[in-house]
Amino acid sequence: MLFLMFQLGRDRYVLETGQVEAVLPLLATKQLPGAPAGVAGAISYRGRPVPVIDLAVLALGRPAEPRLSTRIILLRYPSGPGRDDLLGLLVEQAVETIARDAADFTTSGVEAGMPPYLGPVASDERGLIQWVRGEALLTPEIRDILFRQQAAEP
Amino acid sequence: MSADTDPMTTDDIAECWREIGVSGDRSCPELDEHLHCRNCPTHAQIARKLLDRPLPPGYRDEWTRHFARPDEKGPEGEEVDSVLIFRIGEEWLGLPTGICREIAEPRPVHSLPHRRSEAVRGIVNVRGELLICVSLPALLGIGAAAATRGAERIAIFPRLVVTGEETRHVAFEVDEVHGLHAYRAHERGAVPATVGRAAASVVETMIPWNGRAVGCLDAKRLLDLIDRSIA
Repeated sequence: MLFLMFQLGRDRYVLETGQVEAVLPLLATKQLPGAPAGVAGAISYRGRPVPVIDLAVLALGRPAEPRLSTRIILLRYPSGPGRDDLLGLLVEQAVETIARDAADFTTSGVEAGMPPYLGPVASDERGLIQWVRGEALLTPEIRDILFRQQAAEP
Repeated sequence: MSADTDPMTTDDIAECWREIGVSGDRSCPELDEHLHCRNCPTHAQIARKLLDRPLPPGYRDEWTRHFARPDEKGPEGEEVDSVLIFRIGEEWLGLPTGICREIAEPRPVHSLPHRRSEAVRGIVNVRGELLICVSLPALLGIGAAAATRGAERIAIFPRLVVTGEETRHVAFEVDEVHGLHAYRAHERGAVPATVGRAAASVVETMIPWNGRAVGCLDAKRLLDLIDRSIA
């Protein structure tokens, strides 16, 4: 299984590449006034508006640093039953992919109280890598705010 | 981008490969293990640091404009397929990416005793795995012309391509590998009648690439043809 790796602070996290539509460079985002914390704004991808959330804000409480290695991962996000919408994730150090067996990931032992998107961990020579569940990234409130309007269209 | 706006600086990069590595005095203890700096994880890590630079001016706006433009190449939702483009003699062919396993440097082919078939060249060792090496020119009836074309290009490297289903791998030699090429369904064209009979049975469609027509091989029929030639 191929995973896309990125970093939050000093720690490494992976997303399953099957959920990833594309990896974009750091684009200018249109601010969404009044959006909840963590929503960096919206970008236009091939003419289609895509909401972007800043994972560094959600996990670390500070915005991602503007560097060449900071990228926007376009995720196919299951926004409702039977439908996928694109969701941009602003992450740092999205420069690597790794191939690992899904069975290499085991529970970290401290599941209780963790954000629901953090999954099992795998280890390599540099330490632990945690699997991020793309579908659990948004709280129901943020998900409703981001995708309610699109869902309302015919 | 002009030199003075380029934020790339070499000040904060420890160029160990120029000091103790292959471009220096070769005193690095890691060289015993990795043989060349390009194999060393430290080298890879320094290379990744280049991506930690701040954004060049205009970078964000330029990419924002690029991705805001609609994709003109074809209607949205159209199937995109990709092939590995390689050359045999004068022919450029495409191998479906799904059955492309590995591209390796050519290596000695050990011939099999009592095997006089032109299609099977012998056995090759790819990282400890012994694979049957078939001759695609013989299978497809393409003349492996000793072409000297491309003299204007500096370097052309023959390669060994490993193909096959998930567990059964087969290798074949090619004169050159271009790389992967993604194309859209509407670019597919019919196979002209001038393509040789053996080749026509496995060439599924033609796609334009670099001003040439590339014959894309059909995965199933190609592997069937290889299987039959081995049996």
